[in-house]
Amino acid sequence: MKQKYRYGTVVLVILVYAVAMVTTICTSNWHVFPVPTVQTMINGVWASQFEQFLAENVGFHDDLFRLKTKTDMLVGEKMIRNVYVTEDRLLEKIEADQNDGYIQASAESLNAFAEDCGVPVYLLLVPSASEIYENRLPANVVKSDQEAAIRETYAQVIGKVRTLDAYHVLSSLSDEYIYYRTDSRWTSYGAYCVYRSVIQKMGFSAVPYHRYVISHMSTEFRGDLYEKTLYDSVKADVLDDYHYEGGSSITGVTAMYADGRVESRGTQLNDPDALATDDMYQYYLGMPCDKLVIQTNLDNGKKLLIYKDGFGDCFIPFLLPHYSEICVVDLERMGMAYETAANPSDYTHVLFLSSMENWKEMWYTDTAGS
Amino acid sequence: MYLSTMTFVLAALPLILLLYYLVPQKWKPEFMLCCSLLLYGWGTPVRVLFLGAYICYDYSAGLLLEKFRKKRVFCTVLLIFSCLLQAAALTALRLVTQSDVPALLPVGTALFTLQGLGYLISVYRNDHPAAVRFRDLALYLSFFPTIYAGPLLTYGEFQEALSARRSNILTLGAGLSHFIRGLAEKVILGDTLYYLFLELRHADPAEMSVLTAWLTVVTFWLFLYFELQGYAQMARGLGECFGIKLPKNFHQPFLSGSITDFFRNWNMTVSAWFRSFFRSSISKTTSPVWQRSLAQVLSGCAMGFWYGTGPCFLLWGLIMGLLLLLEQTSFAGRLKKNYVGGLIYAMTIQQFTWVLFFADSLQEAALYWKCMIGFGSDLVDRYSFYFFNSYIVLLLICAYLATGLFRDLAERTSKSKPGRIARFMMPAVDVVLLVFCFAFLLYPDVPTAI
Repeated sequence: MKQKYRYGTVVLVILVYAVAMVTTICTSNWHVFPVPTVQTMINGVWASQFEQFLAENVGFHDDLFRLKTKTDMLVGEKMIRNVYVTEDRLLEKIEADQNDGYIQASAESLNAFAEDCGVPVYLLLVPSASEIYENRLPANVVKSDQEAAIRETYAQVIGKVRTLDAYHVLSSLSDEYIYYRTDSRWTSYGAYCVYRSVIQKMGFSAVPYHRYVISHMSTEFRGDLYEKTLYDSVKADVLDDYHYEGGSSITGVTAMYADGRVESRGTQLNDPDALATDDMYQYYLGMPCDKLVIQTNLDNGKKLLIYKDGFGDCFIPFLLPHYSEICVVDLERMGMAYETAANPSDYTHVLFLSSMENWKEMWYTDTAGS
Repeated sequence: MYLSTMTFVLAALPLILLLYYLVPQKWKPEFMLCCSLLLYGWGTPVRVLFLGAYICYDYSAGLLLEKFRKKRVFCTVLLIFSCLLQAAALTALRLVTQSDVPALLPVGTALFTLQGLGYLISVYRNDHPAAVRFRDLALYLSFFPTIYAGPLLTYGEFQEALSARRSNILTLGAGLSHFIRGLAEKVILGDTLYYLFLELRHADPAEMSVLTAWLTVVTFWLFLYFELQGYAQMARGLGECFGIKLPKNFHQPFLSGSITDFFRNWNMTVSAWFRSFFRSSISKTTSPVWQRSLAQVLSGCAMGFWYGTGPCFLLWGLIMGLLLLLEQTSFAGRLKKNYVGGLIYAMTIQQFTWVLFFADSLQEAALYWKCMIGFGSDLVDRYSFYFFNSYIVLLLICAYLATGLFRDLAERTSKSKPGRIARFMMPAVDVVLLVFCFAFLLYPDVPTAI
């Protein structure tokens, strides 16, 4: 008699499981289900992949995740999945450097590249928002000093590679809307401010700010940091498009993939359809590809080869008025194979544009591999 | 496969329970054995070979002890050899983990080592005959609810519980309820506290403030409790689902008025094992005082070794062994008369000795102790103030829950009208906890500590 409420437990738990399993089965992304191999089943890799698949595809995933985020915030937690939650923005966690071997590795490689290619090579390393807004991080945070790392990297390439300063430009404008609140990348305005400062060093005059027609393409942009936390209390971001009427016109956009596919995208660089997807940031350069070639109607003989990470997407449109051709190689997709993606001697300028964090990761991987 | 993973909670558990209730009664032990081995080898099948080797050794040694019972010298040598072999295997495996070899290390080794040794000692002492059926011993050593963190049963207790099992809807309901609460203790409280502890550990002990040192120790103390108690509760819950009654492993350890009491309430089954098998193997109640004292101290050291390999754990065991001896010979009476004084004494000892569980070396432990007694860089610094400000409410709630007073209150009021209403709300509470557990299992902040 006393224990009759146990029947209720059984019934309710069965109900919860039934709902969870049915929704999991119906809503799962089955095409990413990890296929087991003998090796992965023996070495534990498949078990981890299966656990991850289940965690990412469990029914009501987003609702459960929001529940956890809210509970964590309630108990005083300031970091959710390596993203710091502050009053008005989300900040990516930057790990403290294990060693600075990547600085030397990247400098040596870049110096050798610059010597071989015979054209001016520029390096633009961008600090993370966590570096610029360091004072908003919790008191216990131990992070690497990106300013020092950028300074050290530049010191090791000086003479062979022309360095471009983004750190001081951004840190002096920290009160402005230069980084997204919900994404790890800079805004178009942040990209413009750095462009305005560095383009002169590349031999051009910057297009004045007032010459641009700025359109708010979306006021509901929530970026990669939001995806990691699903924390709704930080205001959504504004995705802006900067259009210069007096600039060049695009005459051709061609995307190339590692598997050999070539896709012509007409004369459209932006992808307005991306604004209706979860990754609105793809608006700037369209679907990610390994190499993107943009041709304009300029006839000045200037051609740019740019190796970039995600920070390059909203920076590249500012370069269109200056070059007849821009070849964009995606460092995040190509990794260390970037050297084979294009022939630098076909271009008049080469630019490496990367966030400091991605730069470090790329070279950590390389030094670990070697 | 750990019990606190999405794979187990969402996929394996419902499947196991469903099949268990469909399998005919006489095949249920074999089914539980298959599940235990499958779960143990999940992701790293080679672990099953290791466990299998352990089981085969203990089975063979048990049969030999039974067969040659009259040849005491042979049996004694065999038993001592088995103890040394298994202790050496445990040490070697722990050293291998410390050198970052991937997760081939069989989990639960410490527990099934004790279980296996206890089985052999019981057979040697003629407490019960050796297992004739390989399945019986295999299930005892590999039983998946208990293999990770207990509770630790003797072979006789396990066989008794197994033969007395009665599974029905009521036991299933009770089991699910206990499992969910244990899971909640582990993933909601234990893992959160572990994450907080790891953040506090970033502070350099040579430069930390007094408050940081105390926050680190208290957080670790609470994390360890909820981690182990959570797992033990999950094990009891799973056992109940199968109709097997498993003993409690913790009973209000933080309200203990002495270290003796503490070990009667903390990881109770492990403490009982060391009393029954280790200490009583060295001395009896009729042995001389010096022998009994030595047995007490050695028992403490052995327990420290069991918890971890290294000088810190040995020192912990030595301190505990000496304190237990002193309490029994000198001031047990005084502690009984002054509960509050005893409580403060026991709690203080615990705080200082838990440092030995997480310090990397004796030097680091000494630095923590130095800070704790007031010789830190500062009383409070920005770092500790941030943690205190952010987490004090969580720590107070966890500390209250850890005392078990809430559970006591619930039990005392269960017969009253509000208590009866609360009892009928329990299924809804369990379901809410289950949903929270699913949320916390999505992306654990830290790798599982067990």
